[in-house]
Amino acid sequence: MTRRSAFVAVCLLFVAALSSEVSADGLVNEDVKRTVDLSTHLAKITAEIVLSNHGQSSVQSFILAVDADLAPHMAYIGASVKGDEEEHGTLELQQTSIQGQRGEFYKVLLPSTLAAGAQLKVKTEMMFSHVLKPFPTQITQAERQLVVFQGNHYLYSPYPTRSQTTRVRLASKTVESYTKLGNPSKTDEIIEYGPFRDVAPFSEDALKIHYENNTPFLTITSITRTIEVSHWGNIAVEETIDLRHTGAILKGPFSRYDYQRQSDSGISSVKSFKTILPASAQDVYYRDEIGNISTSHLQVLDDSVEVEVRPRFPLFGGWKTHYIIGYNLPSYEYLYTLGEQYALKMRLVDHVYDDQVIDYMTVKIILPEGAKNIHVDTPYKIDRMPNQLHYTYLDTFGRPVLVATKNNLVEQHIQDFVVHYTFNKILMLQEPLLVVGAFYILFFTVIIYVRLDFAITKDPAAEVRMKVASITEQVLTLVNRRLGLYRHMDEVVNRYKQSRDTGALNSGRKTLEADHRTLTSEISSLQARLKTEGSDLAEKVGEIQKLDGQVKELVCRSCSEAERLVGGKVKKETYIESEKSLTGRRQELISRIDSLLDAL
Amino acid sequence: MVTAGLIHYILNLLHVTVHIRDVCVFLAPVFSGLTAISTYLLTRELWNQGAGLLAACFIAIVPGYISRSVAGSFDNEGIAIFALQFTYYLWVCSSPEGFGGVGHKLNTRLDAVSAWGGYVFIINLIPLHVFALLLMQRYSRRVYIGVFALLQAYAFLQYLKDRLTRQEFQTLFFLGISLAACIVFLTVIYLTYTGLSTSPSLHRCRSTSRPRGCPSSLISTSWSAPSQQAFGFASRTSMMNACLAGKVRKHVSEQEKAEEGLGPNIKSIVTMLMLMLLMMFAVHCTWVTSNAYSSPSVVLASYNHDGTRNILDDFREAYYWLRQNTDEHARVMSWWDYGYQIAGMANRTTLVDNNTWNNSHIALVGKAMSSNESAAYEIMRSLDVDYVLIIFGGVIGYSGDDINKFLWMVRIAEGEHPKDIRESDYFTPQGEFRVDKAGSPTLLNCLMYKMSYYRFGEMQLDFRTPPGFDRTRNAEIGNKDIKFKHLEEAFTSEHWLVRIYKVKRLENREALDHKLRSVVSRQKYTSKKVSVFPLRRDGFSCSLSFMMLSTTYSCDPHTHLQTPQKIKTTLNSRERKETSNNQ
Repeated sequence: MTRRSAFVAVCLLFVAALSSEVSADGLVNEDVKRTVDLSTHLAKITAEIVLSNHGQSSVQSFILAVDADLAPHMAYIGASVKGDEEEHGTLELQQTSIQGQRGEFYKVLLPSTLAAGAQLKVKTEMMFSHVLKPFPTQITQAERQLVVFQGNHYLYSPYPTRSQTTRVRLASKTVESYTKLGNPSKTDEIIEYGPFRDVAPFSEDALKIHYENNTPFLTITSITRTIEVSHWGNIAVEETIDLRHTGAILKGPFSRYDYQRQSDSGISSVKSFKTILPASAQDVYYRDEIGNISTSHLQVLDDSVEVEVRPRFPLFGGWKTHYIIGYNLPSYEYLYTLGEQYALKMRLVDHVYDDQVIDYMTVKIILPEGAKNIHVDTPYKIDRMPNQLHYTYLDTFGRPVLVATKNNLVEQHIQDFVVHYTFNKILMLQEPLLVVGAFYILFFTVIIYVRLDFAITKDPAAEVRMKVASITEQVLTLVNRRLGLYRHMDEVVNRYKQSRDTGALNSGRKTLEADHRTLTSEISSLQARLKTEGSDLAEKVGEIQKLDGQVKELVCRSCSEAERLVGGKVKKETYIESEKSLTGRRQELISRIDSLLDAL
Repeated sequence: MVTAGLIHYILNLLHVTVHIRDVCVFLAPVFSGLTAISTYLLTRELWNQGAGLLAACFIAIVPGYISRSVAGSFDNEGIAIFALQFTYYLWVCSSPEGFGGVGHKLNTRLDAVSAWGGYVFIINLIPLHVFALLLMQRYSRRVYIGVFALLQAYAFLQYLKDRLTRQEFQTLFFLGISLAACIVFLTVIYLTYTGLSTSPSLHRCRSTSRPRGCPSSLISTSWSAPSQQAFGFASRTSMMNACLAGKVRKHVSEQEKAEEGLGPNIKSIVTMLMLMLLMMFAVHCTWVTSNAYSSPSVVLASYNHDGTRNILDDFREAYYWLRQNTDEHARVMSWWDYGYQIAGMANRTTLVDNNTWNNSHIALVGKAMSSNESAAYEIMRSLDVDYVLIIFGGVIGYSGDDINKFLWMVRIAEGEHPKDIRESDYFTPQGEFRVDKAGSPTLLNCLMYKMSYYRFGEMQLDFRTPPGFDRTRNAEIGNKDIKFKHLEEAFTSEHWLVRIYKVKRLENREALDHKLRSVVSRQKYTSKKVSVFPLRRDGFSCSLSFMMLSTTYSCDPHTHLQTPQKIKTTLNSRERKETSNNQ
């Protein structure tokens, strides 16, 4: 008996010591207004707390506690100071623990010290996912979805509370049952508890509400968000989403007839939802493994792009689907640069649907090939995985990929991250040069292939044909050049007629003679080669040579005629006449040569 | 498949990160482009460039080939036809140019051999041609190099085999392959002898001799004759004919040249006619291609009065539902038409698919569809069916649905099970196939009918028609009160085009009534389970007897050894009798 009482005394002492320790900083919750919002599939618990410092010294921080039963489901916790003029913004939180007490504790650092006897109004916000449990867990298509919420009537706090109220907002008027501590009042969708006076620290009293909630119980079981940065001006974003209806599971048949004809059939099912993309999103696609999903609509608004995402089939309790949504963004909106330093500032997670819950998220950020000194700033703690390498078109040594994961995210997590890295701009040339090089090699191979003969056996006839063809080609050019000489000579003669410069004429004649001789000898050597090849073209070439000799003669004659005219040995009329006949004969010969050349 | 995999591998090795799916989709179009080129080359080799171009144009628009080379048709024929054409080309080339391309030829030949059943066609033709050359006394060393190098290689291998006695398993395997090749080759030679009699065109060909090593007409006729024999009514021949069409053109021009005496009028008329034919052919090909091969049959599109497009994506809706919301190992029973689609899009096991090799299986599915529910349930249980998928077009007026295909199911089922299914049962006494009140009772109570029209009788599509009016068959359905005992509607797509039913497990049958449980006492029926049978009168007694069975199990380990089987069979037979009585 004595031992037992001693034990009790020790316990009491311990508790007293503990409570004195906790309230050592002398903080008291003067007035607490709690709101438990259960109108969606999330539980949002906000509290406006008037903290007053009853201690001796000023305090820098206070402790925020989370109920032990709800703590594992907590997705977000935040606190802000509520001033008279405007909100001071969010406060910094650090997780701590208190010995001997259940639950999670966060130390909130105040922006300014709270002097002894002073008061401060703070607002705290907590989001819990998967705490509304469907009950019954299975319903038929015609039934409505009922859920149970279990929480705490009081604010769970390490400080004594003078006065508090708790207001619960539900999704509908229909309530099966609710705990009736302190005779709460219920109007429509709101249940008001309290006020409760002088509540001890760490007070817990089970709050249980069983009510109808037909809001979409959609959960993103996993999302992979891939952000691929290109320095050519584009950022590609792709989200692979696994979606599941985590409400009461559909029991029995799914009747399309009822679903189409009765408006309240399958009331808790999800037909479609809206995803809000950045305003500059372009080329939006929405697809899955079997192709484009044709049941979506895109609406471009001033400040965003709205996609009405409609899964291929309505989602009933327990049903799941999987899809991919992607779009392009211009990089100038998100990528900042200073010299070789770059900074990418984007949302770590983006909006998928209102009041979203993400169980598991993976973010992959693919930086350009050659990015170095990578440093990431995240708005909240995420788990970094080892970097990977990603290979895509024209990559040689791979692009660095930053991978990070996080569990249990809600809308409040839509915040920006910043990735800093350096990138040598010369590397921008790498890919174009690669393409140029590849085409160069391709064309070079083709050139080599065309020039070389890969045949195993030789075809003499074809060879001869090719040889003859090349010789005739040469003959053609030579003959044409020879004819060009005559034209040139004509010009010389005409000039001579005007200038009467015999020297020029003689030198012109000399060059003609010399050039003509070399060309003729070349042609005859080619003719000889043709003969050795056994081609009948040699005869034709010989004929051309013969005709050419006559042409040459005519040219010489016209030249001497001109000389005689200039010398005054001939009259102008006779000269013109002879010149006419000479040109006529020349034309005739040249046309015959041409026809022979054509026949070659 | 190996080709696609290889291309994918090489591209990814070069960091051209194409998805294997894209490789598969674009493989056929790329190879059809190559086919056009090789057709051009072949025909140019046979006649001239103009004919080659014309032939390439033909092969480019021939519907028979387009059907096998549209993007997304991943079939071995896409590659095989290219390999075929290219082999011909190289063979033709190799004859005059001294077998320069023999190596290539063998490669493509092997590709064709591995890719297509039509390899017999190729490997028969080349020896045939060689034999013809021999007959025509055109044997040369080059022919020997080309063909019998293979034999030499084989002989060499044989020699090696004698030397290296059973070294490794690998060598043995390789030898086995070469042996098989030899056997194939010998049969080829044998076939060549027999094939001679079947191609009288050879005799005609002897007269023609062209300066080049291999006469074009010989090739065209000798190759077209067996091709017609082999694929007389297959669309593949149209592809061969494309090559020949170039030659027809040639013959026309030849005739024109020969009969110089013909007047210019006749010439121009013939030219006009030919042009007309060609143009009509082009129009026809475009039409066929755009109508038959271009629109994806899995998505139906309709246009409203104001021109906006309505997409009916019901197939993919239902398939994706299957993919996401059924067990990974669920087995789906459907008519074989949707087998590949279910396998590809829903990723679920099917009983029968478009590879219709197992006729008895198809007949069994047809029998299940055309039996009444209880009999069908027996079949479905024995086939381990989890879901049944049917296509129903009555709401939107889609005519290719399962009710319209139903008679085929009945016929195929009758072919295998003539005792259970008779086609005549599904017709009215007047011999009509009707779904309305006048339809035959067998039809109105068969599984397919019930699954198609379940709850359709309540549905009124518009005010002019009565509820349950089938738009496809323009009739008010005859059986509006449809209830299922063993099935349960699992999913119906938005426009009712696809309906999926779940086959209930045995546990889901009606539960035992608690009151009757007191009647059953362990002491009373310990070993004589025969006495159980008179108890069975209606639905619940069935499960009752099962309970009895379990009691006997627990009580008498000796006597039940052969009994469960017996009880089950009796159960089944009784049940069947009951259901037939119901009808």
